[in-house]
Amino acid sequence: MAPLLVTSTFLPLVEAQAKARRVSPRLIVVPHPVGGLNEGELAAKIETAAAELLTLADEARGAE
Amino acid sequence: MSTEWEIAVVGGGVAGLTAARVAAEAGRRVIAYDRLSPGGQLVNLTTLHDYPEPGGSAEPWALISELVARAEAAGVTMSFDEVTRVHAGAPARLETSGGEVTAGAVVIATGLTNGRLGLPGEEALVGRGLSTCAGCDGPLYRGKAVAVVGDDEWTAEEALELAELASSVTVLVPGTPRWSPERDQRLTAADRVEVLTGAMVTGLRADGVLQGVTVRTGDGERELPVQGVFPYVGRSGPVGLVDGLPADAEKRLLTEDGVRTAVPTVFVAGDARAGAAQTLLSVVADGAAAGQAAVAALRPAGGGPAGGGLRIVDPTFGVLPDDADVEVRAGGTADWTQVALFTNSKPNATELLRGVGERLQAHWDLRDLGFASKDNASAAADKDTIDWLSQNYKMVVVAVGD
Ligand SMILES: Cc1cc2nc3c(=O)[nH]c(=O)nc-3n(C[C@H](O)[C@H](O)[C@H](O)COP(=O)(O)OP(=O)(O)OC[C@H]3O[C@@H](n4cnc5c(N)ncnc54)[C@H](O)[C@@H]3O)c2cc1C
Repeated sequence: MAPLLVTSTFLPLVEAQAKARRVSPRLIVVPHPVGGLNEGELAAKIETAAAELLTLADEARGAE
Repeated sequence: MSTEWEIAVVGGGVAGLTAARVAAEAGRRVIAYDRLSPGGQLVNLTTLHDYPEPGGSAEPWALISELVARAEAAGVTMSFDEVTRVHAGAPARLETSGGEVTAGAVVIATGLTNGRLGLPGEEALVGRGLSTCAGCDGPLYRGKAVAVVGDDEWTAEEALELAELASSVTVLVPGTPRWSPERDQRLTAADRVEVLTGAMVTGLRADGVLQGVTVRTGDGERELPVQGVFPYVGRSGPVGLVDGLPADAEKRLLTEDGVRTAVPTVFVAGDARAGAAQTLLSVVADGAAAGQAAVAALRPAGGGPAGGGLRIVDPTFGVLPDDADVEVRAGGTADWTQVALFTNSKPNATELLRGVGERLQAHWDLRDLGFASKDNASAAADKDTIDWLSQNYKMVVVAVGD
């Protein structure tokens, strides 16, 4: 399993590419941008993304 | 997968996807190759100007989705392999990273390489001050000074996009601008944009990251303290890809009549063609013309439309598969203690990924996490790395787009 971390700006592009490759990846969407953020700003994004990832990962592990 | 095709299209940008679709709609068995992802140059853009009509605008991802969906519906097979050499002949022989195939006709639609200044030390600065994608990397230069190098419509648009974020944008035009009066007006009206004509970049000053460029104008040489430089010059075509096809000074393939080359079964469409206008409208027209010409170069079609959907032979570039697909490809021995991170190496992507990974590590009490990265942000992921990840890890958290 390969959850993808993607920023909102690139979400449509990732979806288009995934469609072209006939895959439906699990996506964790982070508000754009990520580059150029300071430590505090990045920490807030990590919190949000981590919360989503933990739920998704627990679900995937539990489903086996 | 078959190794014998009626038509092979090299490049899955607008030109290639259009050519492939048109040829498949005519009932031909078509394979389209792209070494990266469908969409080509569109992947780097945030807004399409002058499309679907002059003065109009559109979203790139909507166009990519449409091109892919239409190619799929027409029965085009897509392969994410690189074509390394085309040997003209009847049939033509294509060397690809996935093996050799033959095709009755070939459309070359490989576009152009990214812009470069042609200066020593340049490659090391890609992602560290040198970029060719205002939409992707612009936010990194918020409040910073940048230079944009080029002379065409798209250089002007990239400069205008950067002017929304950067503290100053200096547009360095090697000769005189080729952009339209309308874009000229917008550049003049933009705060923080200065256009220098007859300006050559002769040096890069860097200390791990870019600190400035040396610019030569009619008045002599001077230092421009910029943290970012965006070159749209020095882009080159696929010279050498096809045996014996001549090229122009920019290494774009010369044609004899529209999209036809000196080799009767090889056609060129889009930016890769010498003299191409490098606009989406012209690229779509080129793609359609090349698709039709390739069909005409073959014997009459034997049957109805080719069957099969868009077939993906390598789903691992840029986007990793999940679920059943990865289970089939994986070694199957990994368990949930084996988790890895894979970063696209974009600024802060690794930090984000590591931060998220640490939370998961604590949550599941994992001893350690695997880690892999792309060599640099603008290159494709290495296939061996992807294979290694899929064989050794149960879960790989991937940073793909930022
Ligand atoms: C910064 C910028 C902004 C632009 N903005 C606009 C705009 O707003 N409006 C507009 O009309 N035009 C615009 N253009 C021009 C337009 O984007 C291009 O003309 C068009 O996208 C070119 O399409 P193409 O299919 O010829 O090539 P590309 O889009 O470059 O596609 C070529 C494809 O071939 C693949 N490839 C290359 N070599 C190989 C190989 N050996 N094997 C397999 N695959 C290969 C590449 O991965 C790529 O996907 C812009 C151009 C630039 C540079």
